[in-house]
Formats: sequence, structure tokens, C-alpha cells
Amino acid sequence: MITRSVGPNRRRNDRIWNAVAWVVLLALALPAFWIIMTAFRPNSEINTFPPVWIPQRLTLEAYANMFGLNPEVQQRVAVEAYLRNSLLASGISTVVAVSLGTLAGYAFARFRFRFHTGLFLGIMLSRAVPGVALSLPLFLLFNRVGLTNNVLGLAFVYVAVNIPFTAWLMDGFFRQIPQELTESAYIDGCGHWSAFWRIELPLSLPGLSTAAIFAFLAAWNEFQIVSVLARNNAAKTFPPGLFAFTEQFTVDWRGMAAMSVIMMVPAVIFVILVQRNLVSGLTFGAVKG
Amino acid sequence: MAAKVKAKQQNAVAQGTTQNRIDAGLFPFLLILPAIIVIVLVIAFPLLYSLYVSFTPYELLRPNSLNFTLGKALRNYQKLLNDDVFWRSLWNTVIFLAITVNLSYLLSLALSQLLARVTVGQSILRTLLMVPMMFAPILVGMQFRWFFNANVGLVNNFLISVGLIQEQGQIAWLVDVPLGMISIIIASIWMNIPVLTIILLAGTLSLPAETFEAAEVDGASGWQKFRFITFPLLAPFSYIALTIMSLDIARAFDIVRIMTDGGPARRTEMLWTYITRLAIEDTKFGLGSAMAWITVSLSVLFTLYFFRQLVKARIVR
Amino acid sequence: MLICRLIFLVLAFSLLIPAAAQDEPQYAGLDMDLSGTTIKMAAIGGGQYEVMYDSIAVFEEATGATVEIIALLDGFAIDQKLKVDFATGAADYDVAWDHTSFVAQYTPFLHPLQDFFSEEELAAFSPAILDAATIDGNLYLVPRHADISPIHYRADLYSDEAIAAAYMEDTGEELTVPTNLDQIDRQARFFVENGHSAFGYTLAGKEEALTGRFYEMLFASGGALFDENYHPTFNDEIGVAVAELIAGWYQDGIIPADTTSLLWDGVAQNFCNNDVAVKLEWYGWYAYFQDADSCAVAGNFGLARGFTGLSIGGDHVRPSGWAGAHAFSIPATAPNPQGGAQLIKFLTSHQVAYEEATLGFLPVRDDVWERVIADAADAENPLDRERLELARIQVSEDFKTPPLIAEWIPFSNLFYPQLQAIILGDIDAQSGLDAAAEETRELMESAGYY
Repeated sequence: MITRSVGPNRRRNDRIWNAVAWVVLLALALPAFWIIMTAFRPNSEINTFPPVWIPQRLTLEAYANMFGLNPEVQQRVAVEAYLRNSLLASGISTVVAVSLGTLAGYAFARFRFRFHTGLFLGIMLSRAVPGVALSLPLFLLFNRVGLTNNVLGLAFVYVAVNIPFTAWLMDGFFRQIPQELTESAYIDGCGHWSAFWRIELPLSLPGLSTAAIFAFLAAWNEFQIVSVLARNNAAKTFPPGLFAFTEQFTVDWRGMAAMSVIMMVPAVIFVILVQRNLVSGLTFGAVKG
Repeated sequence: MAAKVKAKQQNAVAQGTTQNRIDAGLFPFLLILPAIIVIVLVIAFPLLYSLYVSFTPYELLRPNSLNFTLGKALRNYQKLLNDDVFWRSLWNTVIFLAITVNLSYLLSLALSQLLARVTVGQSILRTLLMVPMMFAPILVGMQFRWFFNANVGLVNNFLISVGLIQEQGQIAWLVDVPLGMISIIIASIWMNIPVLTIILLAGTLSLPAETFEAAEVDGASGWQKFRFITFPLLAPFSYIALTIMSLDIARAFDIVRIMTDGGPARRTEMLWTYITRLAIEDTKFGLGSAMAWITVSLSVLFTLYFFRQLVKARIVR
Repeated sequence: MLICRLIFLVLAFSLLIPAAAQDEPQYAGLDMDLSGTTIKMAAIGGGQYEVMYDSIAVFEEATGATVEIIALLDGFAIDQKLKVDFATGAADYDVAWDHTSFVAQYTPFLHPLQDFFSEEELAAFSPAILDAATIDGNLYLVPRHADISPIHYRADLYSDEAIAAAYMEDTGEELTVPTNLDQIDRQARFFVENGHSAFGYTLAGKEEALTGRFYEMLFASGGALFDENYHPTFNDEIGVAVAELIAGWYQDGIIPADTTSLLWDGVAQNFCNNDVAVKLEWYGWYAYFQDADSCAVAGNFGLARGFTGLSIGGDHVRPSGWAGAHAFSIPATAPNPQGGAQLIKFLTSHQVAYEEATLGFLPVRDDVWERVIADAADAENPLDRERLELARIQVSEDFKTPPLIAEWIPFSNLFYPQLQAIILGDIDAQSGLDAAAEETRELMESAGYY
């Protein structure tokens, strides 16, 4: 922690720093405020000139339209399907990716073996492959085995996409667990396996939650691959779902903002829940990586 | 003073370095195997397929064109090397990445130093900081396209409201040079800031307090403390941040595609947008695959470079 | 915002339809029992386009089939989807959206339709469109509706005596609704320079929309994109003159500063806001422009036949009239082609086509033309009738599709960025068009044209 000597000068400086920090971060979050506001405003206040900066009236119209509660508007956006597919694909892939990535990370952190560096780099670099290079060959391949337009197929891809980062993070976490602890466990007669389960895994929980957030958000937000693999609402997730609001001639900005808000809710909950772990998790993971 | 710190840290790092690793025969391979299998199936296999395709003149709607002839294998690559648009999109990509990566890093560094000093409302500020993380890249693209829209966009409306521009003199943000590129860069930086800042903030907070106390006794100014203590000690964190960014840089593709789709007049054409145009819209899948392979190679090299730096930075500490 | 209004309009129209159709509605394709079968369709989406799909309930009711719309995308997105699906054999739907400008790319992957449609059934459709979709003796699509662009102009600018007098003083000619591109240039500049209108003209500035608008100005001026052997000819003096005309407009603020990012909705919005003096615009936007709730231009615009081109290419050779038709096709890999054909028969039947025509789309069936013109005879707004009469002339005399080759979209993808560069002033017109011609030659050569 940076220490502060207490004095009148210091206090004034602190006040200035605080004010600057608040202004900068509020500005950073501005687009989010604007989108939330857009979702709850009447259409007559959006895209008008002169612009209406401060909402005059709030309304749930956009949501009524989206969920088909407005008899005058034909429901055309399958939010429920997007939500279900997004949750399934992101949830399943997070669990599997974090499990497999943790095993791999543990192996890299604890064991000496041939091709250690090569395998590690190979896994890491697979993450650098851009989705655009991957999506179509993947489609051709998955189409042969019937995994296109399938939430499980999608989850399978996201597992592969998320393993490298998870393995990397967990490698760092396992390394910062004092070696003496594990060694004493061996002496007490634990095998690798039970030492792993009883001692090292619980100690790396902050790392697990960090990895889980990144994996979940990466899958939740992925667009390139799902837009090729998903053929219809049986597998479409939120990101391609957003295109339901861009039509041949127009963009329904309010509807899109309204769905964006729904789409952000799980991310917000996740981030708030594990915010503290996220910071400490990245610290440990980073220093000892 | 610096020597003391260094010694202390080397001590700390030594605990987790390679020399403590155990030899355990095949067991570690068994642990890694599932991860490798998934990656081979989902990433390596399709990539090899596209490597093969990149040596053929394959066009999507001409199934017979998927045939390999040794003499013509390098045709696509030759074509690309002679293609001005390819070089232009490569150049644009390099410019875009160079500016985005550097500016994202610098801004995040500044922001992390700012946040480290904050005494009021720390946790609220950190939550605010994470707001851009909650946006899918595609959403970032759509929202910023809307903000920068010449007629109904927030940015122009704001400039008109405060009287900086006239109602008829709306700025065509997504069209003009270099505003189009700048708009995309702004959106990408906005998306990059949270993760980078979190890592750098975490790094700053973990720095040993005694070092700063000693420096203060020596009468070091704030800038000197940052320049000679904070910044060098942050090096591993900086490379972690840069590595993460280079791994995820392709996410910027969603933004470019939505905001300008490479236009107008290829002013913002990048490797990713050009690949899509070639491989799918123009159905030249072989050519597009060749370009995808060039792109993959470049991003692998890029990542590898940061990774090396990261490893070096750790040893130095 | 627009969507809500369109839907409102649709509701308003749907109230009118039952009153107009007193006889039994003339559907088709209902004569086969399809109980228990599913028909999948990849369709175009968007406010006005989707109204048609409401009628599918009638089809399902009568035939027992279940219709599943597996994709609702804009035209270019469907084009990409079809290409990927055809390439991978994944086109597992029975009806696909199609377009006269796109169909040539897909032919190896489509079911010839003469197997399913009798000559009698096909006789109802405009022969010109069917000819355009017949390749090597096989018909690959059945048209849904057509579109072509008349001149839209702001009525207030052309009826103001003071403006007319000032124009006379300025140019020495009378201010009349323009009939050629030279006039449009003079008038558009006059309106902007004297502050009568924010913009003198507008045109969509990217993708096939831009290529198409250029194509139209080019052939109206006597130029052509290709010669008979598909060598590019658009870089001759006529092409350069047209490109320079558009670039000059852009540099002088006659067209909007964000032209190169505008598509159809953007340019329509500008006209709707009363910001544009004169322009070419599709008939399909009529209902939108006439809706006073959404458009300031409602009741303040007139229509005229497409302009002839620049005088440079000879004497204003022919009227503009870039045109095309939305249509339906059956993929060769369709699991239920017979069901698909029945659905297409239904969707292009007199009744459904008529209902769609009431939304402002131009019919492709003669019997529907007769009926909508008869309807318009006692319309409140005389423009409703004038519009249809004008449209019928344009469709029958000026209708000109782009070259019906598989390379049309790849050509457009290499051409429009060069044209954009010319418009934006990155390159001069001659060099830009020469570069595009060079790329075009490579494209056509590798496609085996020469």
C-alpha cells in the first residue's frame, strides 16, 4: 500500500485526486448509463433533434414489446431462447473449461516433464487464433458430425477457447501456494490426487473464481463463432440475437438497448459478486505467473 | 534501497519457480491430455483444414475447385503479396493495433495510479471501472456506431448542443480520415481499459510500502517515485496485461465490423474484415484461408513476443 | 420507431383489405394435402417484408403443413448464409429468399422450378422477370415483388415562384422537374447554394447500393459496365464523368458528408426529413413517406420518371431504371421441395401478392396490377394513382437488371470501395476507375470469361 504522511497539503491533494478519479470513472461508465436510460425511454425521446438529454418520462414499453406483452406489436425477438442458450453454452463451457484448465494448470505448476514449455506455449497460442479464421472450417467440420446449431456443440467450442487462459491463471495460482504445505501432505501419506483435492484446490479458490468470470464472460460475449454455428433460435445466443434489432432498413436502437440491459445483468451480478477476488486473483496470478 | 527490495522479491519469487517441480512420469500428461484433446479437435483440426484449403483455389460455390495441385499451391499467397488491398489492410491493422495497445496501456497505467490514491468510495469506483467489461464487443461496436452516427449520434448532438459545431456541419465521424480510425480506436480502448487497469492497480497495490517510505525520506517527488520505483517494479504486470490484450485483440474485429465494416473506400479495412469479404461474400474461400493463415501467424508472433518479455521481466525481478 | 409506424400502417391496411376483397380470395398452392409435413423457409426480415408471413397461417390451416421460418435476415446477410449453406450442403430448408441480382450465383444449388410450376401458373408473372431468372432453360426463382426508382422531388421547391424566378436568373432556364442528370446537377447545386434545401441530392453510398446507383447513372448516360465479352468499359469518359459528378457533389456538400456510410434507410430518412431537394428513390418507401407522423415530407413530394443521363454520352440516352425483384427459390438440397413449391405458389398467389402490393410494393403479376390500379382510382390522394401508372410504365419500359452473372456481387465488392475513394477525394476519377477495371479484369479472367 502506498503510505500517506498526514498534513494539510496531503489532504488537499487527496481531495483533488478523489475528485479527478470520480470524474474520470463516471465518464468511463457513461455509455452504460446512456444505454440503460435508452431502454426505459419512450421512442419519441430517442433519435430526435434537438436531443432530449434528460428523460422526461420512463416507460417499460420496450420490454413489453420484447416479451410479447404488447398486443399491438408483433413479437419478433426470442429473448427467452437467447437467454436459455446463452446460459447453457456459457454455463456448461465455464464448468468444463475451468475443470480442464485447472488440471492442466496444476500439471504445469507442479511437475517437471518433457515438452513442458512447448506444450504450455502451444496451449496459450491456440487462444491467439482469431475467430474469423476458425469459424468456417469449424462449421464444415461440425456439420459432418451434427454439432452445428447445437448448444452443446457451441459449449464444446467455448471450452477450447477458454482453456488456455484458465490454464495460465491456475498455473500462477498453484505456484504461489507454499510448497511446504503440499510436501507435508505427501509426508502424511496423501497421494498427488488427495493433496490436490484437500489442500491445493481450496487454497486456489480466488483463482478459480477469476478464471470462471473470464471464461463465462468470454463465452457470453462471443459472436464470431456462434454466428456461424448457430442456425436458428435453437442455438442462437445473445450476441447474434442483437441483430434481431437491425433490420433491412432500420435499427431499433431502443429495443437493442433494452435487450443489452438484460444481456448485461448476469455479467453485472458476476462481476459484483467476485470483484474482490478478481483483484486479488489477478494479482497473485500475475506476480507468480 | 533498491537492492534490498530486489533481494526480498527474488526470495519471494524463488518459492514458486521451476526448481521445486516434481518428476512424476506420465501423470502430468494425463492431467493435460483432456485440455489438449479439446484444443486439437476444436482449434488445431479446423486450422489444419484451412491450411490445406489455403493451397487450393477453392471457391465456396464451385465444389470442384477444392483440389490441390502442387504447381499452383502457393497461388493464393502470391496473389495476396501482389494485392494492394491486402497490404493496405495489413498496414491499417498494424496502425490500429499499435495505437490501441499503446494508448490502452498508457491510459490504464494512469488510471491505475489515480485509483491507487483514491481514499473515498474505492469499491464503488472499482465497480464503475468494470462497467465496460460487461459489454460484449459486438455491443460496444453497435453502441459506438450509434454514438458516432453523423445525424442522430450522441457525439454530434452534444457538440451541437454546446455550440461547437453547426447543425448543418455535422461531423461524419465514421467517414473522415482519420476520424473513422479514431472512432474505432476509442471504442476499442474503452473496451480494453478495465482488465488492464485492474491488473496494473493490483500490481501497484502489491508493491512494498517500505520502498516508497525510503524514497520519501530521500525527498523524491511524486513523478520520480513513479518513474524510478513504481514503473520498473510493475514490469511483469505490464507484460501480463499486454499479453492478455494481444490474446484477445481479435475481439476488436467485432467492433470494426459493426462500426465501419472496413469502409468507406477501405479506409478502415483490416485483415479481419478483408478476410470475411474475400472468403464469404466473394466466395473465394481458398484465398481467404491463405489470408487467415497469415493473420494467425502474425498474431501468434505478436503474442509470443509479449510472452518472452514477460518471462524476461520475471527473471530480472 | 419506424417499425412501430410501419406496423401501424399495416394494421390500417389490413382493415381495408377485407372491404376491398369481396369475392373469394384467390389463393394458390392450397390444393395439396401436406398434413404432418414441415416446410422450412429462410426469409428476408424487416418491417414491411414480414407482413407477408402473417398470411402463412392460412396456408397452414388449409394444407395441414407446418411452416417454420428458420431465418429472418436482411438481403445481404441471407446472401452470405446461402453461400455458406450451399457450399457445405447445409441448406436444409425448402424455400429460400432470392433476388434477380443474386440468383445467377446460386444456380447450381437450386431446384429448377419448371418441375413444380405449370406454364399456366407462370403465365401470370411478368415475362421479363422470368426471363431474367431463366438460365440454360431452367427457371430458378418465382418473383415476389419488384422495385424500381422514380425521381422523388420536394413539391414546395418546384411550386415556389420566387425560387423559380431566382433559378431563371441564375441559370437562364426554367425550373421544372428534372428529366436529365445535367438538370439535376444544376438544380441540386442551386437549391443548396441558395439555402433552400440542406442537400440537393442523396444516394446510398456503400455496397451494392452504390454500385447499382452508379450503374444506373452510367447506362442512362450511354455508358456500360462491360462490353459483350465482359471486359470492363466503365472507365471510359462517360464513367469518369459520372464518377466526377458524384465526387463533385460530395466535395461541394450537395450530398451529405456521411454519404459513404449511408444505405437505403439513411437516404430515405434524409428525404423524409425534408432535407433533400430531389433524388431517385424506390417505390417501396411510398407508404413511409406519406405517413405524416413520421415524415415531414408527407404531402410535400411528387414523383417523376427516372432521369436520362449526362449529355456527354450522346443525347441523354435512356431513362434510369436499375431494377430487380425479390423472389423465392428452392434449394437443391431441400428435404421437402414439393411442400416448398406449394408454399411458394401460395405466397405468390393473387391474393397474397395483392395484400403485399397494398403495402407499397410493386406487383409482378398483371392481375394484381389491374386490381391495385382500380383500387387507386378512387383514392383520396391523386398521387396514389399517378404513382401506380408511373410505376407501370417504368417497370414495363425502363426495367434494367444488373448483368445477370455470378460475379455481380464480387464485382460490386471490388468496385464500390474504389468509387468511394473517388467520391471522398482519395483518388481521381480516372485512376480510381482504371484500378477498378484492372481488378475487374482479373476477377473475370479467373472466373473463366476470357
